[in-house]
Amino acid sequence: MISGRILVVDDEPQIHRFLAPALSAAGFTPLRAERGEEALRLVAGNAPDLVLLDLGLPDMDGQEVLRRLRDFSAVPVIILSAREREAEKIAALDAGADDYVEKPFALGELLARIRTALRRQGQPAAAPVLELAGLRLDADKAWLDGAALALTKREQALLLLLARNAGRVLTHRQILTALWGPAHTEDVAYLRVYIGQLRRKLGEDFAARLKTEPGVGYRLEG
Amino acid sequence: MAKDEDTRPDPEALLAAAARDGRGRLKIFLGAAPGVGKTWEMLDAAQAKAARGLDVVAGLIETHGRAGTIGKIGTLEQLPRRAVPYRGQSLEEFDLEAALARHPQLLLVDELAHTNAPGQRHAKRWQDVQALLEAGIDVWTTVNVQHLESLNDQVARITGVRVAETIPDTMLDMADEIELIDLPPAELRGRLQEGQIYRPEVAARALKDFFREGNLGALREMTLRRAAQRIDKDVTRYMRLRAIPGPWPVAERVLALVAADGAAGNVVRHAARLAEALHAPLTIFHIERGSDDARLQAALDLALQLGGQVVTQSATDIVGAVLDYAARQNITHIVMGRRVVSRWRPGRRLAEALTRRASAFTLHFVPVPAAAPAPPRSPRRPDWEPYAVSATLLGLVTLSGLAARAYVPQEAMGLIFTGLIVAMASRSGRNAGLFTAIAGFLLWNFFFLTPLYTLSVADPRDVVALLVFLLVGVLTGQLAGRVRQEAGAASARVEALRRISLFGQRLSRAATLSDVLACSAEEAASLTPAGIVLLADAQGLRAEASHPPGTALDEAAQAAAQWCATHGMETGAGTSTLPSVPWRFLPLTNSQGCIGVLGARPQAPPSAPLAQALAALAGQSALAIERARLSLTTARAEAQQDSQKLRNALLSSLSHDLRTPLTSIRGAAETLSQAGPALDEATRADLLASIIQDSALMTKFLANIMDMARVEAGGLTVRRERVKLEEIVEAAIARVAGAVYTRVNIAPDAVFAQADAGLLEQVMVNLLDNAVKYAPPDSHITVSAVRDGALVRLAVADAGVGIAPGELDSVFDSFFRASRGDRVAPGTGLGLAIAKAFTEAMGGSIRAQSPRTDLPADGLPGTIIALELPAA
Repeated sequence: MISGRILVVDDEPQIHRFLAPALSAAGFTPLRAERGEEALRLVAGNAPDLVLLDLGLPDMDGQEVLRRLRDFSAVPVIILSAREREAEKIAALDAGADDYVEKPFALGELLARIRTALRRQGQPAAAPVLELAGLRLDADKAWLDGAALALTKREQALLLLLARNAGRVLTHRQILTALWGPAHTEDVAYLRVYIGQLRRKLGEDFAARLKTEPGVGYRLEG
Repeated sequence: MAKDEDTRPDPEALLAAAARDGRGRLKIFLGAAPGVGKTWEMLDAAQAKAARGLDVVAGLIETHGRAGTIGKIGTLEQLPRRAVPYRGQSLEEFDLEAALARHPQLLLVDELAHTNAPGQRHAKRWQDVQALLEAGIDVWTTVNVQHLESLNDQVARITGVRVAETIPDTMLDMADEIELIDLPPAELRGRLQEGQIYRPEVAARALKDFFREGNLGALREMTLRRAAQRIDKDVTRYMRLRAIPGPWPVAERVLALVAADGAAGNVVRHAARLAEALHAPLTIFHIERGSDDARLQAALDLALQLGGQVVTQSATDIVGAVLDYAARQNITHIVMGRRVVSRWRPGRRLAEALTRRASAFTLHFVPVPAAAPAPPRSPRRPDWEPYAVSATLLGLVTLSGLAARAYVPQEAMGLIFTGLIVAMASRSGRNAGLFTAIAGFLLWNFFFLTPLYTLSVADPRDVVALLVFLLVGVLTGQLAGRVRQEAGAASARVEALRRISLFGQRLSRAATLSDVLACSAEEAASLTPAGIVLLADAQGLRAEASHPPGTALDEAAQAAAQWCATHGMETGAGTSTLPSVPWRFLPLTNSQGCIGVLGARPQAPPSAPLAQALAALAGQSALAIERARLSLTTARAEAQQDSQKLRNALLSSLSHDLRTPLTSIRGAAETLSQAGPALDEATRADLLASIIQDSALMTKFLANIMDMARVEAGGLTVRRERVKLEEIVEAAIARVAGAVYTRVNIAPDAVFAQADAGLLEQVMVNLLDNAVKYAPPDSHITVSAVRDGALVRLAVADAGVGIAPGELDSVFDSFFRASRGDRVAPGTGLGLAIAKAFTEAMGGSIRAQSPRTDLPADGLPGTIIALELPAA
C-alpha cells in the first residue's frame, strides 16, 4: 500500500473537513494549509510527498504558489480546480503541475490520481525499455502483445513521451514543444492527426487507454 | 495603368474642341416670343464690348421701328444692307460678302431664322452665319424659340400658327454661349399694349391670338427647357474634355439677385418659375445694405414661400460676391432686375458688370414694371436734429473765429470749417454734411474772406474752396453712411449668430433624447407661441414633445406635418403647401434623411428672419437628435456589455457557491461509504453534520436565487400592514445561524412599522447573515429601531471588516461580491441586492454606512445597514 504525507491547500474549511478523514482512511497522512504562504512554508519544512492545490486562495494566486514551489521542490502537485477555470488549469499544468481534478470530484478518482502520481515519482526517470499493459517499447521500436507495431519516427516519439508520463496529463503545449519544438506550440491540429494515427495502429483495446482531456491535452492511462 | 486610361480626356471631345479653333464664336440671344427684348439686349451688350475697344459691327439689326432699339444702336458701325430686287419690289438683305470683306471681330446679325430673298448665296440666314463663323468672325445673333425645328410642331399645336422659318437645332447646340432673354408673359403683353412692340392696330390683333397669355407661357417654358438642356450638354462636354470623372450630379441651379427696388418681387417670382420649370433649386441672393426696406422684405418672404433659400451676405464688391457664390454653388442661371436706367445706382453697375463677367451663367433680366410702385417709404419724421447741431457748431466756430481773428489766418478758418464738415458728415450723413458745407462756406466767405462781409465768389479761389467743401461733405457722408450700414448689418448678423449659438448651447446641454426634443419644442415656442417636435417611426409621425405642454395637432396640421416629413420640405403657414394650417412645419433632416418634423405656430405667416431662425433651429435640432440617438445606442451597447458581465459574474458565483458545498457533501458521503468502518465515531458524526450544514447552505442559496428571480421578473406582491418590529427581528435572528447573540434595541416610539411581514423578515435575515459572515465570531451584532419623524429607522450594526467608501452604494448591486472573484466569504452576492429590492418594494429605503463612528478607531471599522420604513 502506497503511503505518504499529503498537503491539502484549500481555503474552504469543509474541504479539509472530509478530506482529512478520507486521506487518513486511505493510509495517507494529511497536512492542512488554507493560504499560499502557509502552503509554501509547509512544503519547505515538512517535505510532503504530494500537494493538492486549490487555485483560488485568499492571499496568493495558485499559479504563483506553484511557480514558487517549483523553484525549490519537485513534489508532485495535483490541482483542485473548477471546470470554468480551464485557462488557469492549463497554465498550472504547463507550469509544472502533474495532474488535476475538477471539483466536485469523486473521492475514488482523487485517490487513484494521488497513487499514480506517487508511483511515477518512485520510478527511475528514463528506463531503457518501458512496459505498460501489454505495450513494450524502447527508443526505436514498439510491440503490442508481442507483435511489432509499424510506427513512424514521430509516432514512436509521441507514444514514448505519453508512456513515460503514463497516468499524467500532458498539455498540448508540452507535447508540441517536446516533439516539434517551441515554434509549434499552437499547432494542435498536427497533434490531433498523429494521435488519431496512433490510436488506429494501437488497436481499439489499447487506444481506449489514450484519453483526450478536452481542451487540455492527452493522458495515457497507466 | 488602367487608372490613367480612365481619366484620359475623351478623344472625341478633344477633336470637337480642336475643330473650333480658328472658328468664330457664336452667341445666341434666345427669346420666347417677339418683343421680349432680344435685340435690345444684344445691342446693349455689344455697346459694352465696343466701349472696351472691340471691333463691333452691326451686320443687320431689325429694329421693327422701335425707338428704344434704334436708339440703342447708337454709334455702332452698321453695314449697309444690300438691295435685292424681287417681284418688282426691292428687298433689303444682309450683305454677307460685305461682312466677310469688312471682317470685324464681332458681327451682330439679328433674326437668325430669317429666310433670304431668292438669289442670295444662301437660302437661310443661319447659313450666312455659319459662313461668317468659318471665316473666324465672332457672331451674335437672336432667335425665338418657335423657330427651332424640333419644336416647330409643338409650337404650331400650341399657338395655331405654323412658323415657316426654322433653324436646325444644331445651330443652338453649336453656339458657344446662349443668353436667355426672358420676360414674364403678363409683362410682355403689357409692353405690347403700350405699343412698344407693334403698331397699335397690329398689337390689338396680336394680343388676341399669338400673344395670348397661355401661348406665351407655353413658349416661355419651352425656351427655358431648351436652354436648360443646352447647359447640361455644356457640362457634359466640359467634363469629357477635362476628363472629370462622372457622373456628376448635374442639376440646374437658379440664383435670384434681389435688391431693395421695385423689381425685387418680380425677380423672385420669375426665378421661382424658372426654378420650377427646370426642377432646379432656387437661391435668393441678397447683399445687405442699410437701405433695405419693406419691398425687399416682402420679396424675401415671397422667396421663402416659394421654396427658395435666402442667402444674405455683407460685402462691398457685390459683383465679386455674386460671382464667387454662383461659382461655388454651381449656379447655372442668374436672374436679376433689368437695369434701372434713370438714376445712378449700384443695381445698374451690377447688371453691366455681370453681363461682362458672368459669362459662365445664363443671365435673365426681369424688367421693372412700367409703373413701378413708388417706394412705400416708412413715414419718417423730419429729423432736424443734425441741422440744429450743425448750425450751433457753425455759430460757435464763427463766433470764436471772429473773436480770435487777430491770431487765426483766414485759410486756417477754412480748415476749421472743413473739419466741421467732416465731423457732421460722418456723424449724421451726407445731407447734414452738405448743409454744413454750404452754410460753412457762406459763413467763411462772409466773415473771413476779403472782401469781408460780402458774399462775392468772384475769386476763382473761392469757387475751388466751395467745391472742396461740397466734395468733402458728400464723400465723407457717403463713406460714413456705408460704414454705418455695414456695421448695422454686421450687428444684425451677430445677433442672429448669437441666437443660433444659444440654441446650440442649450441643445448641447440636453443629455437625453427627450431633453433634446423638449428643448427644441421650447425653442420653437420661444420664437412663436407654440412649438412641437414629431419623430418618424415605422407607424408614422408621433408627437414627442410640445410646448406649452399639451399642445396637439388637429387633423389638417397632422397632414401638413406628414407632408413635410414625406417630402422633406417646409409646409403650413407661409408656404405653398397647405398654407391654411396655422402651423409651420420644418423637416428635421440628418444623415439618415428626414427623421421628423419641427412645428411652430406663428401668429401670422412667418417673416423671413423668423423662418430663417426656425430653419436654423430645425438644423440644430436634427443634429442634436442624431447625437442623442447615437449616445443612446452607445449606452445600450454598454448596458448590454454590463449585463453580459453580470451574467458572467452570476455564472462564476453559481459555480463557486454550488461547487464548494457540493464537493464537501460528496466528499463526506463518499468518505463515509468507503471508509466508514475505519473511522471513529466522532469523525463520522462530524462528516454527517457537514453534509447537513452544506445542504442547508445550498437551500438558502437556492432561496436567494428564487427571490431575486421573483424581484427581477416583477412578480413581487407586497402587502402593507402594521407589523411589530420586535417579532420580525426575533424571527429573523432565529433563522440565522450565529446570530443568536444579537442585541435588539427598539425604542418605545418605534415599535410598529408599515411593512410586509414576510419580506421584512427576509430582509432582516439577509442583513444578519451578512453581518455574521463579515464580523469576527466573538463580536456583537446590534439591531436597533428609532423613530425619525414619520419614519422608523431600523439598523443592523456589526463590528466586521466594513465596506470601502467607494463601494457603499455598489454593495447593493446584484452579484457585487461575486465580481471580486471567489476568494471571499461564501454567498451569492445577492443578499444585499434582495434586501434593497424588498425594502424599496415596501416603500422604504436602504443605505450602508462604514466605518461606524461608535467603534474604537483601532479595531475593525464595522458596518451599519439602515432601513427607513414608514412608521405605523
